[in-house]
Amino acid sequence: MSRPATLQNRAQHLDRFMAWVITGGGMMIIAAVLGIIVFIGKEAFPLFRSPRSHPLALAALAPASALGLDESGKALMTLDPETGIRGYSVPDGRLLGQVQDGPALPWSGHTPLDARGHFAVQGQDGRVALGRIQWEKHGVDAEAAHWTPTVQWVGSPVAAPARLLAVRPVEPQGLEATAGFQVVGLDGAGGLVWGQAQDGAQDLAWTALPLPPGQVASCAAWSLDGSTLFAGTRQGMLYLVATDPGAPLQAQADFGQPVTALGFALGHTSLLVGGARGGLGAYQALRRDGTVLLQAFHHFQPMPGSVAGFMASLRDKRFLAWSADGVVVDHLTTERRLFAAPGQHFNLAALAPRGDLIVAANPQGTLRAWTLDAPHPEISAGVLWGKVHYESYDRPEYVWQSSGGTDDFEPKLSLVPLVFGTLKGTLYAMLFALPLAILGALYTSQFASPRLRDTIKPMVEIMAALPSVVLGFLAGLVLAPLLERSAVSVLLMPLFTLAVALVLVPIWIRMPRGFRLGWGSGREVAWLLPVILLGLLLAVTLAPAVERTFLGGDFRAWLLQRHQIIYDQRNSIVVGFAMGFAVIPIIFTISEDALSAVPRSLTSASLACGASPWQTAWRVVLPTASPGIFSAVMVGLGRAIGETMIVLMATGNTPVMDWSPFNGMRTLAANIAVETPEAPVHGSLYRLLFFTALLLFGLTFILNTVAELVRQRLRKRYESF
Amino acid sequence: MRKFREWWRRGSGLIWLSGATLALCLLMIAGLVGYIGVKGLGYFWPGPLIQAMTPNGPVLGQITGVEEAQGDDTAKVQFRVGNRDLFGQDYRWVPKTDLHAPSRPREAVLVERLEYGPFIGRIQGVTRDGATLATGPAALATIQGLLPESVALQKRIHGLEKGEVGGLNARIEALRLERRELEAKGAPAAKREALAQRDQALQNQYAASERRLELLRAQGERVQVTLAAVDGQTKTLPLAAIVRLVPANALGFLGKARVYGARVWEFLWDDPRESNTEGGIFPAIFGTVMMVMLMSVVVVPLGVLASLYMREYANQGWLIRILRIAVNNLAGVPSIVFGVFGLGFFVYALGGTLDALFYPGKLPTPTFGTGGILWAALTLALLTVPVVIVATEEALASVPRSQREASLALGATKWQTIRNVVLPGAMPGILTGTILAMARGAGEVAPLMLTGVVKLAPSMPLDGSFPFLHLDRKFMHLGFHIYDVGFQSPNSEAAKPMVFMTALLLLLVVIVLNLFALRLRSRLRARMGGGAF
Repeated sequence: MSRPATLQNRAQHLDRFMAWVITGGGMMIIAAVLGIIVFIGKEAFPLFRSPRSHPLALAALAPASALGLDESGKALMTLDPETGIRGYSVPDGRLLGQVQDGPALPWSGHTPLDARGHFAVQGQDGRVALGRIQWEKHGVDAEAAHWTPTVQWVGSPVAAPARLLAVRPVEPQGLEATAGFQVVGLDGAGGLVWGQAQDGAQDLAWTALPLPPGQVASCAAWSLDGSTLFAGTRQGMLYLVATDPGAPLQAQADFGQPVTALGFALGHTSLLVGGARGGLGAYQALRRDGTVLLQAFHHFQPMPGSVAGFMASLRDKRFLAWSADGVVVDHLTTERRLFAAPGQHFNLAALAPRGDLIVAANPQGTLRAWTLDAPHPEISAGVLWGKVHYESYDRPEYVWQSSGGTDDFEPKLSLVPLVFGTLKGTLYAMLFALPLAILGALYTSQFASPRLRDTIKPMVEIMAALPSVVLGFLAGLVLAPLLERSAVSVLLMPLFTLAVALVLVPIWIRMPRGFRLGWGSGREVAWLLPVILLGLLLAVTLAPAVERTFLGGDFRAWLLQRHQIIYDQRNSIVVGFAMGFAVIPIIFTISEDALSAVPRSLTSASLACGASPWQTAWRVVLPTASPGIFSAVMVGLGRAIGETMIVLMATGNTPVMDWSPFNGMRTLAANIAVETPEAPVHGSLYRLLFFTALLLFGLTFILNTVAELVRQRLRKRYESF
Repeated sequence: MRKFREWWRRGSGLIWLSGATLALCLLMIAGLVGYIGVKGLGYFWPGPLIQAMTPNGPVLGQITGVEEAQGDDTAKVQFRVGNRDLFGQDYRWVPKTDLHAPSRPREAVLVERLEYGPFIGRIQGVTRDGATLATGPAALATIQGLLPESVALQKRIHGLEKGEVGGLNARIEALRLERRELEAKGAPAAKREALAQRDQALQNQYAASERRLELLRAQGERVQVTLAAVDGQTKTLPLAAIVRLVPANALGFLGKARVYGARVWEFLWDDPRESNTEGGIFPAIFGTVMMVMLMSVVVVPLGVLASLYMREYANQGWLIRILRIAVNNLAGVPSIVFGVFGLGFFVYALGGTLDALFYPGKLPTPTFGTGGILWAALTLALLTVPVVIVATEEALASVPRSQREASLALGATKWQTIRNVVLPGAMPGILTGTILAMARGAGEVAPLMLTGVVKLAPSMPLDGSFPFLHLDRKFMHLGFHIYDVGFQSPNSEAAKPMVFMTALLLLLVVIVLNLFALRLRSRLRARMGGGAF
């Protein structure tokens, strides 16, 4: 009696256990599968997080007149005409050392520190020297407590006293050359002067740089190669002045308010300009048709107070600007304000080269500091979806160019060309696939004989299973060269096929009716195969003659000369064809299902009323099944949007924006495949690629869901018949 | 005319038009598969070697293409002239009008060798240790006689390199890591001494193996073959460097068939040479099969479990309906999105964590923190799980209610009913789903490019060294082989025929799997008498 009970018990235990396992496991699997979107979203999300900053407590320093930060942000350097150069550790403010060598104290003046730690000083004795701050880091000790500041000095020639504005080191080039520097300043009368010195030279002569009458220079900055410099005036003008005395004035621009500070963003191309009323802008010198243009290409939100100085990050295009009433960090490309803090009579500020630490000081030596966490400043909605004016571009444009050869490259991350490419590829694929798939499905469901249908359906299923890499390979390596050579044949083929058909139709309709009905209806495809082949044959044989007669012998040359259209070998026609090939079976299968499921009562009624088979198919079956066809198109669209390998192999992957069928494109999906392997993990590009993946996911998911809902409603409607 | 108008008015013309679109589709499918088949299968057939005079001297080679006159261009013939080391390129276009006195010299041979692609020319002589064995056309037979032995020797050398020397290398590397770890921990000197001794012993073994290999290699260098190109340049190379001699013009049908068979065999079972443009693609076949197997092992239980839950256990409310739509729609999400997920989640997040936990000694060299066959298989499993779920759900739904009720009425529990009635009934459907998933997985390339496929893998994911199954290794794949050789290879013209063959193979795999699934499904549907919308 007890044994069966245990058996039953065990079975029931097992049953409960399995129910638990399957429910838990099933839920987990479904959750995991849906978790994909969560994970991808999580990876992309930090792109759009606003920058965060925290104030840091810092000890006070001795009063100073210039401030700079070490690469790691662990040490701080100050300059002062009275006390010279001092290094402090951050954040405890311990004095790490004082530099003893260099021009004798007290100095008569010095330039601000730049982001790389360069500055120029002039002593009371008139000696001018370029200094470059370096840190002796004893061992690999990460603690700044043991560092000592040193300065590498270049040259110390004697010069007439001047107020130094900016200095540019001249690196030795070649074996004989020595290091030196170029410096710009204001002489006693307030005129702009510049001089050049080499290591070991005795004297430095000032050369005047004439500005137009009435203009008084207030600040200046050297261009990258040192042949020109930018000067700002109290009257609100900007000048590009060449050191070459032959043609000093090169270009000018009106800033609109007295210029009080000049600086450069990373890369030394974008001139940052600050004004007395807090105006902030970026200018670039463009050489177009032999003339130079000083173009304002970015405008930033004004800041409180009169801009006192700039410092650029050495990692990206963010920069710091400060005034007595505030400190801000802006990003050049996005024009976004990453950080802003109200001022407390600041006279100095500095940004760490990594851009993650901001320090500001007032004349009493009181320090304020903030950490700045803005890992992806180059991304904003404006950059992704709008036109942006990039460095050395004439005008704002949509550009995708994620990486360049140099560290100071400005990433151009507009998604518009990629979305455009995706739409273009999809459009051409659909143009090719839609008529073929839908008409083919209509024929198969309404007119084909059952035997024909039984051969067609598995063939189309095989077509659906063709790996896209094979299609891409054929498109890129076989079809593209073929089309390039015989584009005319391909374009003529439908015409010739039609011509052949028109010749044959009169013969056909004179055949006896019994023969036509017995052998024709339901088997049209079999008759048409040779007709199409004949058309193809005619097109291939006659195309060269047509090309010679009408197109001057070479289609591509004709296209270029007559219509200024460049024919790329891997172009949209090739992609449309190959991708259409991938999409046809999907649209075909779903539409065919919908068309075959149209209730027989409807077609019978139509035929009984005297409508011809085609009228029935076109006016009754097609409209009834149209939601199903709509859903087929949606699913097909989803497939075309996400197709990767075909686009990767059959286009040149150039992110151009042009609807021409004779050039290529770059799609979102192909872009992911091309760039993801190279993108640094968790960098901006990496996250942006995740974001595009999310876009693709969302887009196809929506398309498919709409299609599924439409199909379900249609199924319900058919059930009522 | 009246008749025509009548015919047109009834819409018969449009019926024919819609038929034409279908005919075009069918023609395209047939044309595509046929083109790949002809191109792929034709590649290995030894074509005739044509010699002809041109104003720039004679050419000798296989004719691989003809371009008709177009516009200003005259008709041109493409020769595969081989001898990349002498001529600089494999192919040459010659204007048709420049060709004179074409002939098929019987003594012309195509020499398949290990480096620089094929040599096309004549045999001048063959020597052993400097002594002449034969000269002129007679040397062909001598070389053909010596070749099997030489090929066997090469196989042995290759086996030794891969097996013995490779194994020793792996052990030395493992020992090095162990020592590094011990040093980092500050282990006692005695222990380190013991390790150093073991290391020394291995190094000695390694040196001995190398010496034996050296001897074998020297043996292969003894016989030297001198070949002459058509322009008179000569080339002497060791017999060891020769794979096969094909005197294409002197061979009869049977001889050609034998060469064909040998080439197909090599293609299927050998390692690639010359950066994948020659030799075989066995590692790619193996990698594909292995990856698909791994994927199936993961995807089937997951898919079946999930569909059992959705169909048998879950409340059939709106939530499960939404979930069902969502899961089905995953099948339409682009594969590259799964690739991105695989890279971010499996490779970097999961792999990085595994490395930090289990392989800290090897860091910063990643073990699982980089693409590998496991991650690729898991990514594809996610990609194909909707296929299995959809097929399984359909199959579960098609098991008649009467059967379940009979089982329950006999006192079976729910699980017993599922196990003994529902699952066996649904088996063909599950199998169909599995096969469809495998076909889809075998053809996908885009996600693999992000999660672990490489153009040339130094070692296979399954081999003779412990632990035999290396899930962290990168692998080769047929589909990626097509992309890489066709589009990334510097010599893609020479590699194109090879790509056709690979494409044919991939196509065959996918089509056979699909046909099998179709047959299964139609039989299942016939039995159940149901049909899905």
